[in-house]
Parts: sequence; C-alpha cells; structure tokens
Amino acid sequence: MSGLHHARAQLLRLAGLRPYAPVVPRPHARPLTCTPVRLANLNLPPRRTILDSEIEENFLKGSGPGGQKINKTSSAVQLKHLPTGIVVKCQETRSRSQNRKIARRLLGERLEVLELGDESRVMIKGREERRRKASADKKKRRKYRGLEGGKGDEGEGEKQEVDSEGKEA
Amino acid sequence: MPRIPTSLLRQARKLDALLPPLLAPCRDLGAAQNELRWLREHVDKVASTRGHREQDTLLRNFVQQRASGKPLQYILGTEYFGPVEIRCRPGVLIPRQDTAASVTHVAQLIGRAQSLPSELRVLDLCTGTGCIPLLFDDVFTSTRRDVPLRCLGVDISEKAIELAGHNVMRVQREKKDTTTSTIELVRADVLVDPFAEQAIDVPSLKAALNMYRLPPFWDMLISNPPYVSPSAYWKTTTSSVRHFEPRIALVPPAGKGQDDTQQGDAFYQRLITVARDVEARVVLLEVADVDQAVRVARMAKDMQMFDGIEIWRDEPDQCSDQEPTEQDGFAIVGRGNGRSVLCWRERGGLWLGKTPAWESDADRLSETYRSMPRLTSKYSF
Repeated sequence: MSGLHHARAQLLRLAGLRPYAPVVPRPHARPLTCTPVRLANLNLPPRRTILDSEIEENFLKGSGPGGQKINKTSSAVQLKHLPTGIVVKCQETRSRSQNRKIARRLLGERLEVLELGDESRVMIKGREERRRKASADKKKRRKYRGLEGGKGDEGEGEKQEVDSEGKEA
Repeated sequence: MPRIPTSLLRQARKLDALLPPLLAPCRDLGAAQNELRWLREHVDKVASTRGHREQDTLLRNFVQQRASGKPLQYILGTEYFGPVEIRCRPGVLIPRQDTAASVTHVAQLIGRAQSLPSELRVLDLCTGTGCIPLLFDDVFTSTRRDVPLRCLGVDISEKAIELAGHNVMRVQREKKDTTTSTIELVRADVLVDPFAEQAIDVPSLKAALNMYRLPPFWDMLISNPPYVSPSAYWKTTTSSVRHFEPRIALVPPAGKGQDDTQQGDAFYQRLITVARDVEARVVLLEVADVDQAVRVARMAKDMQMFDGIEIWRDEPDQCSDQEPTEQDGFAIVGRGNGRSVLCWRERGGLWLGKTPAWESDADRLSETYRSMPRLTSKYSF
C-alpha cells in the first residue's frame, strides 16, 4: 500500500499538484462502500426458516455439578437437524443466545445449499464475490501495467488514467 | 485433578505460545482457544478506546491472571446472562447460565399469560449483580408491552447493590425511554426475622420495604440464594470459585444446631415464608441438585399454601428424556441437573398455564382488594 502511495505522490508531484491532495479515492475503501448495494441487486431467495421441531439443540457443558458450584465459560451451542442429520456447532461469542442465533443461521445456510444447490444464497453470493474479485484483479493489473509503462513519460496522461480508474471503481 | 498431558501442552504451544498457561484453568484445548480469542478481542477493544500502546504486555498480563484461576468474567469485566451483558466485579457472584435458562423460561411462560395484573411485580431476593430482574425485564417486555413491570432486587451485600445499580443504569440507558419497567434495589437481610431483634446495620426485608415505602405485596418471588453446604463447598466447588468468588454468595451463614445439609438449605424456609407474607403467586427458587430440590419442594408443600410444585432441570424448555421424571410426587421437567423449584398458587397457575381459567374465579375477588390505593415511591438508582 505504501509503495502505491509513494508512486502516486511522485506522479502528482510530476504533474505539478500537491502530493496529498485528495484526488483519487483510495482503492481499498471501495468494497466497504459498495457491497450492500451490489448484493441488494442480486435477487436472493428468502432465508430458510428452521422450525424448532426440526432440530435438536444441545449446550455442550460436560458433566458434573452446575449452578453456583462451578463457573463455566463455555457457551457453545450444537444444533442437529433431525431429518438430514446435519450437525452445526457454534462457540463464536461468550453469549449463548448470540451463539444460538449464529448456529441457526449457519444451519440455515447449510440446508439451503443442500436444497437449492446453485440457487442458494451462499452460492449466489459466492459467485458474485468471485466475479467482483476477478474484475478488481483485472483492473489492478491494468493499473500497475499503466504505472510501470508511464514511469519514464511525462506525468499528465498517467495521472488522468489513475484518476479515471479510481472513479470508475 | 488429572495432570495435563505433555503432548497436549506441546500441541497448544505449537498453536500459540500463550495457550499452555490457559490450559490449567480450561482443561481442554478448545476452551483455551476460545478464551484466548476473547481475551485478545478484549485487549483490542481496550487498546482502541484507551490508546494503550503495549497490547502484548496487556494480553500476557491477562493470560497470567487467568492461569492463576481468576474467572474470565472478572478479567473481561462482563458476563452474558441470556442476551443481557452484565458487568461483573470481584466480590459479587458471577451470573450463571443455568440460572438464565430458568429465568428465561419462567418469563416466557408469564409473558404468554392471558390476563395479568395491571402491574406485574417481581421480587428478586439475593440479587447479586441484578442479573435476574434485568433478564426477566428483557424477556418479558419483548413479548408484553401492555403490562408494566416493577422489579425489586434485594441483597445484603453493599458491593452487590452498588454493582446492581450500575448494571440497571447501564442496561436501561441502552433502552432509552422505550422501557416501561422500573427496577429498584434495596439493601436488606432476607434471613433475619422481622419480629426478632433488629440488627443495627442491615434492616430486615420487611423493615426495608416499609422504610422505602415499597409495596408490601409482590406477584412473583424469584431467588438464587446461597445454597452450598460447607462440606459441599470444600468438596464440589472448583478452586476458581472458592478462591475468587465471594463465599457469602455461596454458603449460607451457620445457624445454631444445624447440621451440614440444614445449613445448605438455610435460606429456603425463610424464602417460602417471605413468599407467603408478600402473597407471591409464583415462586422460583434455584437449587443445587435434585436432592435439594426435593427437600425444598417438601418444605413448600408443608406450608400448605401452593396449588402446584414442580422441579426444573437446567434446561426446563427441552423435552425431558432423563430419569426420573417424578420423585416424591413432584414432577421433574427438562434436561440436565436439578436446578430450580417452581411453586404456584391461585392465579399463578393461570399465568403459567398450569390451571384452566374457570378455577381461578374466586381469586379475582382477592385481586380487587389488592388493586386498592397503594403506597408508591421512587427509590431507584
């Protein structure tokens, strides 16, 4: 990143501009701002709802006394989907209720992949992610090629190219 | 306690240099990894808000504290009680997940009730961090917005009341003005008999209710009192609990002529008497195991005032596939260890969905007496 900054500063100096003028939006800021908009257009199927009767929930606590006598930090939740036998475990957070939510979401995703295959939310999102990554990589390559090629030339044309790419992104 | 195998220590070191010391309190690799992750997240958070430079030192310090047995909740400063984040401090018992399961279940049952009083009053004795009123409020008000809730937390420990006040303020501030419930806290001694000679420093419950002009009648009584007998304290509690959590919250004070078991059960007789005095319709008392549950249920039965008594396991909402499902005539529901005793009478059975509606007509009469002008005041933190 700092190499890129340096190169950009040099280019701008060549162009007679102040090096730290905010001309080009930083490339890594892009995914953060654009992702929700893009995913909203994806036409995702509705989330799969899981009925409580379909699953068996287990809090993995081990044996022995509970209550005041010991102080467990385990908040793990394990869900078993009875019809398919899929088991999902979550111990992400310290809150058991939070873990229950996350486990249900994970199980929902797994079931959707099983039922809808390529048309499930996860698959659609994954495809979109890969597509975006590929196109971003392509742009990146083009940009660096441009920078490499333009090192010896005068800065004006190069600056414009960087600028336009940044805006396009 | 079995020694941790060297192979496990080596395996842990390979994953992270800070993992081996955490194996001592956690005993298994998965738990140690989780705790290290939470400690790291905490350090990141502390560093980002305070601009702490030496993150590694801080983390190492925390790991060292944890390795000495200090509960993770005291290091991180909070524990989740159901979905509610409760602040914890040394000197006050850390809320347990099992308690949360019982309280959540009873709050859900009450939340489904057809007819409730115009204001639901819940009394929580031995409140500690104030976790029970806060969770009850959270669960109940998420289903019922029409019935305002009034909770009173009582504890003998000054530290506990102070911390509970802090927790109530913190949680209610997050909810802003949307909350219709009041949570109050008073310091009082539950065990002391109001008619016996009064102690000078801490008033009895009845005296405290009078002093702060709080209502004398409460619809529900919930309590997680100290219930560990002295011998069980030395034999069954983990060293982390013994060394770092307050004994006063675990073991009832010794009484004259009591044996070990009686001392462990010391609170329950008093709690049931309080339930009678405040005319509680639903009573939920936490216990250590099925044996104690049966003893408490028998005590409640001997008072001859309840319409039904039930014993709940750790997870009362799960279907019971565990034997026994009945002992001494008391139904045992749920899964896990014996965890609490639920008693109800009059309309309480209706609220819990235990008795059909027509049985409680006589009770409606007594309800009118209760809704006559009452003494109210604000004594909240």
